[in-house]
Amino acid sequence: MKSKRRGLYATVAAWVALGILGLLFDGWLLSQMAIYFCYGMFAMGLSLIWGQAGILSFGQAIFFGAGAYGFALVTLNKIPGLGVSVAMGFVVAIVLATALAAVIASLTFAARGLSGAHFAIVTLCAAVVVETATTRSDYLGGYNGLFGIPPLSWNGTMIGDHALYYLMLSITLLAFLSVVAIIRSPYGTLLEAIRDNEHRVRHLGYVPHHLKSAAFILAGALSGLAGALFAAQFGFVSPSLLGFALSTQVLVWVAVGGRAVPMAAMLGALVVPGAENMLSNVLGDVWLLVIGVLFVAVVVAARGGVFGNLLRLPLPQRLRE
Amino acid sequence: MSTSAPMLKVDGLVKRFGGVVALDGISFEIEEGSVHAILGPNGCGKTTLFNLIDGSLKTTAGRVEFDGHRIDGLSSSKIVRMGIARKFQVPGVFNDLTVAQNLEVALAGEDGRFGFLGLLLARPERVRRDRLAEVAGLTEKLEYAVAELSHGEKQRLEIAMLLTRNVRLLLLDEPTAGMSVTETEAIAELVCVLRDEHGLTVLVVEHDLLFVKTLGAPILVANDGKIIASGDYDAISQDPRVVQSYLGAAANA
Repeated sequence: MKSKRRGLYATVAAWVALGILGLLFDGWLLSQMAIYFCYGMFAMGLSLIWGQAGILSFGQAIFFGAGAYGFALVTLNKIPGLGVSVAMGFVVAIVLATALAAVIASLTFAARGLSGAHFAIVTLCAAVVVETATTRSDYLGGYNGLFGIPPLSWNGTMIGDHALYYLMLSITLLAFLSVVAIIRSPYGTLLEAIRDNEHRVRHLGYVPHHLKSAAFILAGALSGLAGALFAAQFGFVSPSLLGFALSTQVLVWVAVGGRAVPMAAMLGALVVPGAENMLSNVLGDVWLLVIGVLFVAVVVAARGGVFGNLLRLPLPQRLRE
Repeated sequence: MSTSAPMLKVDGLVKRFGGVVALDGISFEIEEGSVHAILGPNGCGKTTLFNLIDGSLKTTAGRVEFDGHRIDGLSSSKIVRMGIARKFQVPGVFNDLTVAQNLEVALAGEDGRFGFLGLLLARPERVRRDRLAEVAGLTEKLEYAVAELSHGEKQRLEIAMLLTRNVRLLLLDEPTAGMSVTETEAIAELVCVLRDEHGLTVLVVEHDLLFVKTLGAPILVANDGKIIASGDYDAISQDPRVVQSYLGAAANA
């Protein structure tokens, strides 16, 4: 029994540690860490579809980027009639990302019955198409993207480093609790069953592509929120946020962290880019080799990821004896 | 609970795969609350018949009726929801999941909660789960990963997973494949319990003579995509067509 609760204790400890980190740093480093929480939420969305339902997507940045661009377009007053409010920016970001996810889900799962490698390739192509289209759109700023997105503020004053860090931490915690609630519900069990044997799920009366689409759309919405928060902090958006490269990076973060455990996936998305930031100055291009070797090692030797086994929560009470 | 229509009616069912005729006009009827076995050698079209009944394949000609409603042409999930559950030849259980999770997957959709929101909010009854675990003989192993179970345990688990509230007809595809004699007898017993205590109609396809004999149910003998004989075990084992086409050496021994 004790070993089963280890994952719970480790998860709580990790959140407490993230809380304490906010007290230890300030300035540029702290704001950098706050931005990484966007990656963390993005990674949890991927964990929901890839870790839980076995849906490998090479196009998750489409939704992250859609969120970022949606937020930018509203706050830069480029969508007539919607105003420039930050709240409207978030609404548009999430709606846009959700709608794009719904379109891709309906074109793949529902219409074509795509899954596995076929689905991965289609999403990869979609990411390339969206990125290329964005670079050619003057309205979206082309190659240069959109500049001058106003920073998050409260009553007219810019939110300080520490407040921003804890705001991001809280939003990420809420996202984490939501994802955990979803995967621990019977719906989460169904997603796992689909990952294992989709055919059998269909023959128990379910429509697997509906259930997969729901997960894909939820992940898209979460990625859109993450993208909007990224744009709000980073101040500018560019086509690379929508593309194949970021889509692949998030896969690496999630695989290294532990794809089947949202907390592990989230930590992967904090630690890997964090290490990249620190070590790429020292190691230069050797960094790419390091992350490549780490990725291969995880895929071959530790499929649960670096943090997966440590942070795996015990099964819900109802699934015990 | 219609008394006029048979539970399952298969009428002139034909299935061709290109030039190969898998089923060549099969017809039979099964009354509610009965157990029937379809006996036939490998390749005689038994599994194809199940694939047509449960909507996995489209029929070439003929019709399938379930409790008076035509079901050929409907999707698998619709047919399952109408009350036809199928056990696959290779145990269709979720190997990565625990026994309790497998049973949750089976039970979560009960009462029509097959969609995302229904499942998100569903809280399957523990009593039901424990009852099915008992049927499977896995009460002590709820937290085991299914991959750790024996073949026989997986077969029983899959049968238990089909016993949802709305199931009325069970299709069992070689439920004793790869089982020992004792396990085979236990499955035959279980099938009778399902009929007598759960009021289910059961259709079994088998090529294992011992099981069909133990079951003691009416038998339809299939060969080359046709039903060539029917009756109880003693009757069909005397039938010269059956002896010639299927029993062969086994009957002479």
